Amino acid sequence: MLKLSNISMEFGALKTLNDLSIELKEKEIVSVIGPNGAGKTTLFNVITGLYKPTSGSVKLGSQEMLGLSPAEINRAGIARTFQNVRLFLNMSVLENVMSATFGRTRSGLFSSALGLKRSRKEEAEVKEKAQELLKFFGTRLTGYRWDQPAFSLSYANRRRLEIARALATDPKVLLLDEPAAGMNPKETQEITEIVGSLRAERGLTILIIEHDMHVVEGVSDRVVALDYGVKIAEGDFDHVATHPDVVEAYLGKGSTATK
Amino acid sequence: MDYLGQQLINGLTLGGVYALIALGYTLVYGVLQILNFAHGDVYMIGAFLGFFAMTWLGGPLAPTVPVALMLLVMFLIAMMGTGLLGIVIERFAYRPLRNSTRIAPLISALGVSILLQNGALLIFSPSIRSYDTSSYIPSTLGFSVGELTIDSVRLGVLVLSAVLMILLTKWVNGTQVGRAMRAIAYDKDAAVMMGIDVDRVIRWTFFVGAALAGAAGVMNGLLLRGVSSGMGLIPGLKGFTAAVIGGIGSVPGAMLGGLLLGVIESLAQGYLSTNFADTITFILLITFMLFRPNGILGRPMMVKV
Amino acid sequence: MSNLGIGTDEWVAQHEERLASQSPLKKLFARIPLWAKWGSFFLIAFLFGMLSDNQYLLRVGVNLALFIMLSYGLNIVVGYAGILDLGYVAFYGFGAYGYALLSSEQLGQHWPTYVTVPFITILTAILGYLISLPSRRLFGDYLAIVTLFFGQVFVQLVLASDNITFPWADDYVDITAGSNGIPGLDTFNLFGYIFDDIKDYYWLLMVIVLVLTVAIHRVSATRIGRAWRTVREDALVSEVMGVSVKRVKTLAFVAGATIAGFAGTIFAGMQTSVFINGFDLPLMVMIYAAIILGGSGSLAGALIGAIIMTILPELLRVPNYGAILFFVALLLTFFVLSKKFSRFLIYVVSIILIGFAFQLAMKAIGVTQANAEDWVVGFTGDLLKNWLFVPENRILWGNFAFILLLSLIAFFSIAKPIWKHVLLPFIGFTAIFLWEVRLIADVSTTRQLIIGAMLVVLMILRPQGLFGQTRVEIL
Repeated sequence: MLKLSNISMEFGALKTLNDLSIELKEKEIVSVIGPNGAGKTTLFNVITGLYKPTSGSVKLGSQEMLGLSPAEINRAGIARTFQNVRLFLNMSVLENVMSATFGRTRSGLFSSALGLKRSRKEEAEVKEKAQELLKFFGTRLTGYRWDQPAFSLSYANRRRLEIARALATDPKVLLLDEPAAGMNPKETQEITEIVGSLRAERGLTILIIEHDMHVVEGVSDRVVALDYGVKIAEGDFDHVATHPDVVEAYLGKGSTATK
Repeated sequence: MDYLGQQLINGLTLGGVYALIALGYTLVYGVLQILNFAHGDVYMIGAFLGFFAMTWLGGPLAPTVPVALMLLVMFLIAMMGTGLLGIVIERFAYRPLRNSTRIAPLISALGVSILLQNGALLIFSPSIRSYDTSSYIPSTLGFSVGELTIDSVRLGVLVLSAVLMILLTKWVNGTQVGRAMRAIAYDKDAAVMMGIDVDRVIRWTFFVGAALAGAAGVMNGLLLRGVSSGMGLIPGLKGFTAAVIGGIGSVPGAMLGGLLLGVIESLAQGYLSTNFADTITFILLITFMLFRPNGILGRPMMVKV
Repeated sequence: MSNLGIGTDEWVAQHEERLASQSPLKKLFARIPLWAKWGSFFLIAFLFGMLSDNQYLLRVGVNLALFIMLSYGLNIVVGYAGILDLGYVAFYGFGAYGYALLSSEQLGQHWPTYVTVPFITILTAILGYLISLPSRRLFGDYLAIVTLFFGQVFVQLVLASDNITFPWADDYVDITAGSNGIPGLDTFNLFGYIFDDIKDYYWLLMVIVLVLTVAIHRVSATRIGRAWRTVREDALVSEVMGVSVKRVKTLAFVAGATIAGFAGTIFAGMQTSVFINGFDLPLMVMIYAAIILGGSGSLAGALIGAIIMTILPELLRVPNYGAILFFVALLLTFFVLSKKFSRFLIYVVSIILIGFAFQLAMKAIGVTQANAEDWVVGFTGDLLKNWLFVPENRILWGNFAFILLLSLIAFFSIAKPIWKHVLLPFIGFTAIFLWEVRLIADVSTTRQLIIGAMLVVLMILRPQGLFGQTRVEIL
């Protein structure tokens, strides 16, 4: 489904990603782990078209993503969330989700201004779709919440809203950047379940960056470990977690790891 | 060749004045990331202060002190006055908005600009006050190199702007306040954590920037032989332009941009038509900005995603 | 406090309380449906047009309508899409000059109105598109700068184009009449109906404003409007969520330009003359002041802001109205600042006492008093002439008072609360003194001073304007 081949990303003399190749099959859930500065978010930025890599290729199915604008990449089927939750803070919860349907809708300036039937119909559909997506998270983001500005949400709710917003773009591949960061155990458990159901119910292929090993363990089919922009291990969770290079990257030389 | 040379000299003189104004913009943008729209009007106030200092000392026709001293006093009073004005503006129109949205200080600056212009209009009335420079600075004090002449006023302006720019560079690079200012421009939060008194440094930045504008005001008053309350608009715009071409936030950039702008304008006036000189200058600017928005010496902004 | 537990957040819990605590006035206002609030405005405008023949007031109405159009347009560019366009007023000028060149003796062209207006409007749209193309790469401050330059280029171009010498021609060509302006324009002539009465323009503009209001409201509430708002919020994320940011920005820019160009043609037709200095920075500032005052990003705000910015100068023109406005504003400010009625009375009494004390002091020093006829303008002057001592040398004292007032306000803003109470009556007196002595006579400068002060104060106290929402921004 998603194939990254020999991605290298250089910022001047700094090589953030070094000949990286990762492949995701359809409906796979893969976690990317690694110490801070390993290049994980940079990887996401390359995939979504925010950075242009120095070399390599990103293929969604058979379509090359490199060179497309972020909006085009999104419309091709790749969506993401952000490490530091970038919502449209001054817009309402519902509007945040509705706004992401832009790439899938067509009402232009004139048809909206004139109030044409197809415009109205599309608007109603968009609203309904957004409401459905928000119901996915239970009752927290429903009801009167829809019209609340996004900045009024608690941290956990903001993360959930961000996922809902990404889902509104009808993606095939979902990139989640540290979805469980800053969450308490109960919320973390929820996120794990949500990621699972995103694959089960919606057939998404998911790439997750995570630090919380409980999430990684509970969710991943495969784990990829990065350090200094290089893949240092790949495999199932047990294999990677006990891999000597991974342990060294996280804990330093001479450490051993147990679960 | 000599025509060209003459145009160049005029251009450099003009450029020196623009550079001084540009420095004020760039210094403030460096520390606060705001475009101080009121800067041009500070320049205008400087010109007026210089004028009043001159009249206080007897005026151009009957000076009570030697001309050199009178000029010195004019510049000192203008620079002190505008420096203080700069501090006041910062304190009341910008400081309360430090944590506000991006656009709030811009609008506030607009308001200050309107207040200054109309305040001057109210107090000084719309008439143009004449500096009548020629009557007390004999133009024979200038000199010529071959066919090129530079009269004393132009020469004085050129020299003074060079001196001020050198002093400023020393201030920015040499003094503690100057270094602190650069630190804040680079990373304000880190500067705070290093123990820099941000408020104090910002005050100094405004003082210096405004004082330079004040000096520019007096210079232009001398060059153009008159001051009026609306005189800040176009030079302000041009000084701002110069700061942008040179790279807003960069001190050497502002100086370079100012000189460049002065020369370009002079050449455009001399060789193309005077009518279209301003238009052409602006069009060149726009084209330049599109290809290099960071200016000649500016740093491109890297945003972390 | 309601059922706070783990998992429920405070905002949810406090929702009921928040609803209950909103002031009754706000709740009442919120209950009136949208169409009723707008409807009342248009109803008044409609009735006025039917019942009145007052040329002056109709003229004000026409100016108001044009200003509303400009506010709407700029609101789309700045308020919706977040593009800081400082050269916007050039589109207005382009529309006006475009119409002028096709309907006057300047180029000897007299095109029919139903061709000229759409043609020039579309031309302005194209111009807007062309300008937006290179600007796509820029953002924020840089964009503002470039648009400012474009605006200046327009002004300079018009000024200089009265004297173009082509290398092959002997004589120079005058296209735009430079700073002289172009008079004698054809008024609108739509299919035989000649717009020779100001009322014709009034009706035309009211209908246009109505249509625009509905159209813009619809757009802002749907897909494009949302896209604009996301671009304003966070353009990068917006793009990642599938919004073609460049296209959307261009759309906003062109929409705004088109409205301005359209307004420009109507303005030219109504005014039957155009002068370039009416399309420069002062007007630009006024439009910005209007949408900032009203709250940028809000259509109602743009309307209210436009109304205030048009009515205010007109009121100030008539000394009586201006005086009422001034004193009402002054009293209101004091009322709001005093919070307690008793304190308010103390302030008022103090001001009166200061006035008398001032009078005694001036007389004691021997300052010459001005004759009442010299300075009394309007009925407030009549009321105050026995209380307020106006020195003969009004200009000098006025200037002094101006600087004193600014200083007092400056001190006030940094003073400790105790001192604030003491300073306030002095500020009040100085303001009244300044008003009667200088400002009331110098209308245009006063208007500008008020605008300038208002912008600064507004930003400090309420940056979101009257109808905007408090915005949260991550810098």
